[in-house]
Amino acid sequence: MKIIGIITILLSGSIMIYSTLDFPEWGDPLSPANTHLSVYYIENSMPDTSVPNIVTAILADYRSYDTMFETTVIFAAGLACFLLLRNFRKKKKEYSLYRHIPTGVTLKIKNSADLADDTKLFQRIDSTWVPFDLVTRTASGLIVPFIQIFALYVIAHGHHSPGGGFQGGVIFGAAFILFAISYSLRESLKIISEKTAVILSCVGVMIYAGTGLLCLLFGSNFLNYGSLAQILFTDPVSARSLAILFVEIGVGLAVAGVMIWLYYNISSSGKYNQGL
Amino acid sequence: MSEHYPVLIVIIPFIFALIVAFAGFIKPRLCCFLTISALILSLYSSIILLFQVFKTGCIEYRLSGWSPPWGICYNIDYLNSIIIVVVMIVGLMCAISSQKAVNRDLDQKKGAFYALFLLFITGLTGILATGDLFNLYVLLEITSISGYALIGTGNNKAAFASLKYLFMGTIGASFYLLGIGYLYISTGSLNMADIAAIIPELQQSKTIMFAFIFCMTGLFIKMGMFPMHGWLPNAYSDSHSATSTLVASLTTKVMLYVMIRLILNVFLPDYSFSKLNIDNIMVWFATVVIICGSFLALSQKNLKYMLSYIIITEVGYIAGGFWLGNRLGMTGAILHILNDALMTMCLFLSSANFIYVLKNDSFKNFKDIFLKMPFSAAGFVIGGASIIGVPPTCGFFSKWYLLSAAQEAGHYEFFSALIFSSLICCILFFRIIEQGFFSEDDHENNVTKFNEAPVSMIIPLGITVLLLIAAGIYSGDIITNFIDHAIPDIIT
Repeated sequence: MKIIGIITILLSGSIMIYSTLDFPEWGDPLSPANTHLSVYYIENSMPDTSVPNIVTAILADYRSYDTMFETTVIFAAGLACFLLLRNFRKKKKEYSLYRHIPTGVTLKIKNSADLADDTKLFQRIDSTWVPFDLVTRTASGLIVPFIQIFALYVIAHGHHSPGGGFQGGVIFGAAFILFAISYSLRESLKIISEKTAVILSCVGVMIYAGTGLLCLLFGSNFLNYGSLAQILFTDPVSARSLAILFVEIGVGLAVAGVMIWLYYNISSSGKYNQGL
Repeated sequence: MSEHYPVLIVIIPFIFALIVAFAGFIKPRLCCFLTISALILSLYSSIILLFQVFKTGCIEYRLSGWSPPWGICYNIDYLNSIIIVVVMIVGLMCAISSQKAVNRDLDQKKGAFYALFLLFITGLTGILATGDLFNLYVLLEITSISGYALIGTGNNKAAFASLKYLFMGTIGASFYLLGIGYLYISTGSLNMADIAAIIPELQQSKTIMFAFIFCMTGLFIKMGMFPMHGWLPNAYSDSHSATSTLVASLTTKVMLYVMIRLILNVFLPDYSFSKLNIDNIMVWFATVVIICGSFLALSQKNLKYMLSYIIITEVGYIAGGFWLGNRLGMTGAILHILNDALMTMCLFLSSANFIYVLKNDSFKNFKDIFLKMPFSAAGFVIGGASIIGVPPTCGFFSKWYLLSAAQEAGHYEFFSALIFSSLICCILFFRIIEQGFFSEDDHENNVTKFNEAPVSMIIPLGITVLLLIAAGIYSGDIITNFIDHAIPDIIT
């Protein structure tokens, strides 16, 4: 079976290499990809949308419908992970473990009544050996706010430089995941609960779709931002630029929410206990 | 408002999917109601769209207001408008029928389940409506991801089946994406109509040929064509019956639609049939698919496995009929896409009813099924009759077209494969019917009780049976009003 696999891979690999022989020259300015559609985008993206970054203009305006569904792909991945992994059944354990925070001693309590998960003195843990690492916590606590501010910058500055909703959302989500890794899942759930993460991602996609629907209500085609000029009190071209910002914020929220939600489900295999 | 229907059919399920995901955490009882109302609304818009196409011809809708080669557009024409209606009907029937089983098995995850259900429909409708190759890929991703998740909910083998499907599906989608990349390199465009205008100048280009090969390979994997069918039987049989009905009746058919769309409207029949000259090979290929699929179906011991292999043979019917290359064959293939979606739905709905009551779909449990579950069994018989091709049901008419097309094109191997597989289907279904009617146990000792599935599962099955017969009776109208216009005039 392995040999068949290797033969198939070699065969399709060589077909793919052979198929590249007829390609236009690398970087050829006269190749179809550079002469057919690109010319219009390069010449008109600034007067059409007043966005200096052509990539953002294509992504969030000319082909905004694709981008909306790309966000939905990420959202669907979050839903899929939840549907397959989330485990609502709570197993009754014979004992539960608590750590006495001031001394670091681990207590094993048999037949414990429903004690609070976390108090000032005791912290609930799931395995006997849970490291208490001061250095990681302090270091990540210092750096997380800066990463988050950088994420906001990336989202907001997508008009002018590389960046935008997807990248900013991922950075924001990653910052929170760093926090969740260095502390514990229970503590991060206190800050952003499962419900909040879901609502964040739903609202994010909804902002995108809602912008499109608003255009529909003002009588133009779906996602035709120009018609939003009436409520934004500007001309249609700057309305497009502003609407792109809204949409990018929506994408950022959705991606950050889904990142956090995915981490919650995968790191605790759906049980929402202590996590990694 | 009337000009916005092309986008509404996609946007309504999409927006409702977001609301349902949200509602799953706040008011889970609302989820099912919201799903059904979303599907009713989009079914309504798709029917209006069908009438608009019937009256005025093709409709173009420019998303974001940009004109086609630069922006994305939706093209609703004679080919896809009618398939969209069928997709919506199947979605609605599955949603109604799945309520009880989902409440029983997936209580706390209802919100996510129905949100993915709606996203799956959104993806399929988008694939059908779009006039842009890359937009098609994005929606294919949505369909696939929600499909993997839906299939993963099932018995304990479902997760593994879903993983296998995920690997195969990802390879298929990547091949398709590679094909689009090749097309973009050689034409510089992603719009279907725009590419179709450029391709006649590039007949000799190797890149176009490889784009064609990669796109078709990707789609063959996705539609479960015979050597690449490995993922299909397990994925459809091990999954929860609420999802297998939806996924099994729609995925393969929509992928076949994409194949037909690419050949007729992107690569153009002139290039695909005359220049590449692969139609004979493809018909032989389909013949092998049909025969192997029939034999594999014969060797199964569980109902859903058997139905999954029947789906593989049906893929062979449609692909082979289309590659015959004459007008009759294409008519038969497109008609069979519609009919097969309904037939598969009918069979899977009744198997869902059996599984709901019997908790198992092994053939051993079907003793006295006609006493126990008369309505579900009757639905099963009519679905089976349609697969075999018994006249008043719609399966007969599309098979008739395929047979006469094979005879006209002189492909007698395909002709005999069709007849052969119909005979095998007779054996398959009569074996079950025999077990249901004439079981060997004496009836006096163990009296079988009437134990039918809930009404909410019987009504969709009843409607499906009526649709099967209606589609058979009105197949002439469907062909003259829609399918005839969908096939370009150069094909005779």
